[in-house]
Amino acid sequence: MNVMWLFTLLLLLAGSGCSEPAIMQRPDVSTVTGPPNWTALIRSEHLPNVELTTHEGLAVRFYDDLVKGQVVAINFMFTTCGNTCPLITEYLAVAQKALSERMGHRITLLSISLEPEHDTPERLREYRQVRGVGPGWIFLTGRRDDIEFLRRRLGVYDLDPVIDTDPSQHAGIVILGNEPQGRWRAISALSHPIRIRQAMERIILPPSQWPTGETVVNEVPSQDNEAVETADLSILPPVN
Amino acid sequence: MGISRRDLLRWGIVIGGAAMFPGGLRPRLAHADDLPPSPHTDPFIVELKPGRGIPPVVEKVAPFNTQADPGICVNVDGSTAYHVSPPRAVPANTEFFLIHEKSVSHSFHPQLPNNILWGYDGLIPGPTIVAKSGTPQLVRFVNDLPVNDPVGIGEPISAIHRHGGFQAPQDDGYPLDTFCTGQSRDYFFPNRPDAGLLQNEHSTNWYHDHSIDITGQNVYRGLSGFYPYTNSLDTGDEGTGLQLPANFYNGTPVGPFDIGLVFQDRQFNREGYLIYNTFDHNGFIGDKFCVNGLIQPYLKVKRRKYRFRFLNGSNARVYQFFLSTGQPFVAIGTDTHLLPQPVTVQSVRIAPAERVDVVIDFTNHQNHSEVFLVNRLQQTDGRKPNGLVSPGTSILKFLVEGVVPAPDPSQVPATLLPVTEGPAQLLPQVRVQRRIKAERSNGAWVINGQFFDENRISARPRRGEPEIWILESGGGWVHPVHIHLSEFFVLSRDGKQPPPLERGRKDTILIGGDVARETRILIKFEEFTGRYVFHCHNIEHEDMRMMAQFEIQP
Repeated sequence: MNVMWLFTLLLLLAGSGCSEPAIMQRPDVSTVTGPPNWTALIRSEHLPNVELTTHEGLAVRFYDDLVKGQVVAINFMFTTCGNTCPLITEYLAVAQKALSERMGHRITLLSISLEPEHDTPERLREYRQVRGVGPGWIFLTGRRDDIEFLRRRLGVYDLDPVIDTDPSQHAGIVILGNEPQGRWRAISALSHPIRIRQAMERIILPPSQWPTGETVVNEVPSQDNEAVETADLSILPPVN
Repeated sequence: MGISRRDLLRWGIVIGGAAMFPGGLRPRLAHADDLPPSPHTDPFIVELKPGRGIPPVVEKVAPFNTQADPGICVNVDGSTAYHVSPPRAVPANTEFFLIHEKSVSHSFHPQLPNNILWGYDGLIPGPTIVAKSGTPQLVRFVNDLPVNDPVGIGEPISAIHRHGGFQAPQDDGYPLDTFCTGQSRDYFFPNRPDAGLLQNEHSTNWYHDHSIDITGQNVYRGLSGFYPYTNSLDTGDEGTGLQLPANFYNGTPVGPFDIGLVFQDRQFNREGYLIYNTFDHNGFIGDKFCVNGLIQPYLKVKRRKYRFRFLNGSNARVYQFFLSTGQPFVAIGTDTHLLPQPVTVQSVRIAPAERVDVVIDFTNHQNHSEVFLVNRLQQTDGRKPNGLVSPGTSILKFLVEGVVPAPDPSQVPATLLPVTEGPAQLLPQVRVQRRIKAERSNGAWVINGQFFDENRISARPRRGEPEIWILESGGGWVHPVHIHLSEFFVLSRDGKQPPPLERGRKDTILIGGDVARETRILIKFEEFTGRYVFHCHNIEHEDMRMMAQFEIQP
């Protein structure tokens, strides 16, 4: 089934101008030796194998059980986060569903609590149910130290230590990773769900299959946020 | 007590153990971008010279068909590529170029192993493309980047932006107008001054990758090069026009006395292989200073004047350069244009993507004397520079050679590129102003409260109608804001007159931090209509969608 979806997608993409042509020269880099194994490097530097607990109460290891060999979208949240988290959860759900419809289940969502003492598996399960979260989306809690360590390894932190203590500042980023290929990006989880889905596609597909040009641009309806003021020349310093 | 990154790494590796932080030890973590230092390299043992760091000027090729290209086109060099650009008619006097993006085994320094980089024509920096005012160019870029790359930095997909260039939207390297391995795309550059005004003649541009999501990685991997420009004043010849230091004298090659210098910081692992942190979105800072792809090189100079085109090609680092002798720089250009008059400055601050053209006169230095280009601006993360330090880091050594001064017909005239349509003429026509507010929000950066969306227009200026844009940013971060297509005048910095190096025109300007909370600029779009982007040129911020669009209305 997944294969069929992929075929359909490839056919769709063929019209967008960036599918891989039959005739092409591929430079040979097989003789290269020495550079570090990128995927292993990312694993050792950024994907610690901390123990977490799923919303179902299962003990899991972050790397071994959740990320290894997977394409994942990771965000940090907490169930009492009233401002942005519900919106982000909604956006990610829409993006995941759209991706699934286009490509089959290819991406696992991991939402990790920033308030693990409060966010017990039961609370996460309830949060998940209330929002109608579907399969392929795991909510996680664990020891605060472990989660803080993981958060920093994943680059979700603020250089200002005061701002960094505010968990709501870390809830807006979703990290996209294709672990086997060592490809990792981040995007604001407050971007339009279609933009999130497009970024997910770019982490799954090789660049030769990325949709390009107007196909991508116009998928989200056009919107303006133009704001114009009457010019105030009175406060300018004298012209040289 | 500090905990080293190595400790963290060890924990990361042993993290499967029962107790991660025994004894209640709460780790005071270093930042994820706080990488272990690169290996030691001896400074000033690599010579920067033509063929090594000073790239060749790319040769034009026979005209090729852009009218009815088949899907798979055979290029003039026999290579084939699937062609993504629409067919187009070009003027009869158009020059044609063909550039292949490909892997190259590059030596940053003899004490480090070679690294596999990506370069235009396999060169670091890319080959220099020289534009001549009045002669259009069509440049076909062919993507020969490897699809199975072992290094992991960058993606083999491209959009080419000629930074500072005056070109139509479809030739501007829009981030979604990408082409992949095995494909090519044609870029047409009209190479004429906007509105035919002499003051709009260009001097120093550059070209680099601009692909969605991964510009930072692709530029870091090597995809950038110089795109200088000659015109009736800045002729590229010491015998004609303004007679600025150049690589020709009355048509005969000399020098080189006009040298582009691109400054880039890089980071290496213990074994000397290039490192990039795809999880750091603050702005990548490396601890090795490269000039034209070489770590702390030296350059032999004769006892005469030189023109150096400084380009900050770093992802996030801001520099402030001094000369070790205390000698000033004579600045003759900022960003794309020459200045109206030369400006003598003790130091040059240069943010990512900015250019400053300077003349340094070595005439009065003794044979074998050494002059160092020193960066005294310390920066340890992507937020903003920490401030000036002393003595700073010498990143380039000029080694002066000559018992007697060398012949030097070049000049630095008191008038360079006169401004005939500046604030004095344009301000009375200004009707509207716009606020462009850059801020940190929810773990990333927004422009006017929003992340980049490819189908959102944030400004619709009318062609030919000058406007004031007010660039606002807080004190926590600096952002080098780059506006595509048109250069602008800086009217004020926090209500005051801009410093001397900002009194010409700019296409990139540093805002926020300790630089300025409010910057007012005067901008006018003369000719092209359509959609262009403006964005933060801290490229990690740009990749996190600190970007917006304007659409010029007819």
